[in-house]
Amino acid sequence: MNYRGIAALASKDFSLFFQNRFFAVVTVIGITAYLVVYFLLPAGVDETLEIGLYSPIQLSALESVQEEGFRLSPLDTEEALRIAVEEGEYVAGIAFPRDFVRSVEAGERPQITLYFPPDAPAATKSAMKGLVQGWGNAQTGRDINVDFSEEVIGRDLVTGPIPARDRLRPLFAIFLIMTETLGLASLITEEVETRTLKALLASPMSISELFLAKGITGVALAFGQAVLFMAIVGGMSRSPGVIFVSLFLGSAMLTGVGFLIASVARDMLSVMAWGLLALIVMMVPSAAVLFPGATAGWMKVIPSYYLFDSVHIGANFGAGWNDVWPHFLALTIASLVITGMGIWALRRRFQ
Amino acid sequence: MIKEAIKVEELTYNYGDLLAVDHISFQVKKGEILGFLGPNGAGKTTTVKMLTGQLKPKAGNAEVLGFSVGKNVREVQSRIGICFEDTNLYEGMTARENLRLFARLFSVDGFDPDGLLERVGLKGRGREKVQAYSKGMKQRLMVARAILHRPEILFLDEPTDGLDPTSAESIRGVILEERGRGATVFLTTHNMAEADKLSDRVAFLDQGRIVVLDTPYKLKQEYGSRTLKAEVYTDDGQLEHREITLDTPDTPEHVRQLFADYRVATVHSEEATLEDIFIKITGRGLSR
Repeated sequence: MNYRGIAALASKDFSLFFQNRFFAVVTVIGITAYLVVYFLLPAGVDETLEIGLYSPIQLSALESVQEEGFRLSPLDTEEALRIAVEEGEYVAGIAFPRDFVRSVEAGERPQITLYFPPDAPAATKSAMKGLVQGWGNAQTGRDINVDFSEEVIGRDLVTGPIPARDRLRPLFAIFLIMTETLGLASLITEEVETRTLKALLASPMSISELFLAKGITGVALAFGQAVLFMAIVGGMSRSPGVIFVSLFLGSAMLTGVGFLIASVARDMLSVMAWGLLALIVMMVPSAAVLFPGATAGWMKVIPSYYLFDSVHIGANFGAGWNDVWPHFLALTIASLVITGMGIWALRRRFQ
Repeated sequence: MIKEAIKVEELTYNYGDLLAVDHISFQVKKGEILGFLGPNGAGKTTTVKMLTGQLKPKAGNAEVLGFSVGKNVREVQSRIGICFEDTNLYEGMTARENLRLFARLFSVDGFDPDGLLERVGLKGRGREKVQAYSKGMKQRLMVARAILHRPEILFLDEPTDGLDPTSAESIRGVILEERGRGATVFLTTHNMAEADKLSDRVAFLDQGRIVVLDTPYKLKQEYGSRTLKAEVYTDDGQLEHREITLDTPDTPEHVRQLFADYRVATVHSEEATLEDIFIKITGRGLSR
């Protein structure tokens, strides 16, 4: 075996690989991006449930509960508790009535209100009831009888578990959009590489018209397929307007991503490499849909979060305009910024 | 009514430190064919790019059909046709589809792709994908694309470079037809024979500057020297070549001597070529 020869060839290939600016840059950016995403994700499995608590009376058994996988955070008013649960700060909220201890001691059945976010799993709801029962035991030294009043707050408009395939609908729709985005990037790259773009730019067509044509192609391809998919899988049945606008804005934003990819890619292979990188970053917020409660705050920095979430809550919860307008605002801004950057970068490349 | 199709004043372009086009000035009359000649890197293509609005000049002015190219680029581009040096057709589309696309971009009504394809010698090939075409066929299609909207000026960048004689002749025929209907032709080439055959005037470009601009006839008169070429039989019956420079004081004596010394088989006079003149003026050749 000619090990020296093999080593020489390997060394040459490494050298050529990193001489290629594209591969070198993609490699470095890829590793960096994946490492950043990895380290931003929680390092361990945190099974502690964050629960908001409103109790107008002192509950001495609170400390024992803290050690059983529940972290209780007291709030000053019941309204503050409702708002905190609605904003996703807690997986559940418990509100005790002012006469809780007296009612228990009198053998009555006090009513305890449990607040849940819309996508709270059934297991969380059971756990809350068990928690209150155990708490009552610790507080009074005997079994207590209580009535629970469950209130789902936030954008949930119906309760009940969402089938996995429905939960995956936004992911599939956005995958379709992204695939078409890569197709658009590939078309533009080919246009540059085969110099047909030069012929177009020497015609009466202005560069703005060219971008518009490409943008229309990209949005139409992506949006059309995503809408068709959502219509077939029943994702448009509850809030068609919301889904329609979400997918349109998402297609516009990802068309901008396509422009950005086309501005750096040199051929089909590099479109795929850059596209994969963009895809991974854009897909990170899908965790919010697939794994409720796992959403880290930083995911909201990635604009695709607002696309996933608006499609998710529109299709699965029938969210209305009031629920999603902040998402649309974020998507509109992101679309304008990303598409603007894409056009700027492409214009530089064309010139 | 403007007489000049193209009017250029002090046009300049540099790529970093490299001065590609160095303050050139010239005019092209309407209906004229101007041969723009020079070796590789002389600045021909850069000049065409500036005249067609593909590149913004760093200095100077260019007017095409009375419009400032910098200020009215779309107006200019709608009235000119460009045949690029590199093939840039949609290879996955047919010839007809390629032409129809550009006919729509140029807003040509009632466009007949088959008639145009016939003009450039591609009759019956319109439904084939361009990727199946030979280089000559692609170049003819490029010319067809450049003229489909009946442009007032036709910019041709090395239109016959590397083509077979049939394709080259076909393209030369189209150029003359276009001139015949009144179009101005700006022909960029390093093919001196072609330029000589087609051009009303030629400009020699060297290192970004126009070193001379005139009709081929006048250039030959001014810079060229005619020669007399003869084939003669030597004493041992071999056929040899002899050459005498014409238009010198000694010419009559040299001609008399030739006929006195040898039995002459053939004799003809030959003019200087544009390449000879280019070498004489710039001190270097045009070969790529």
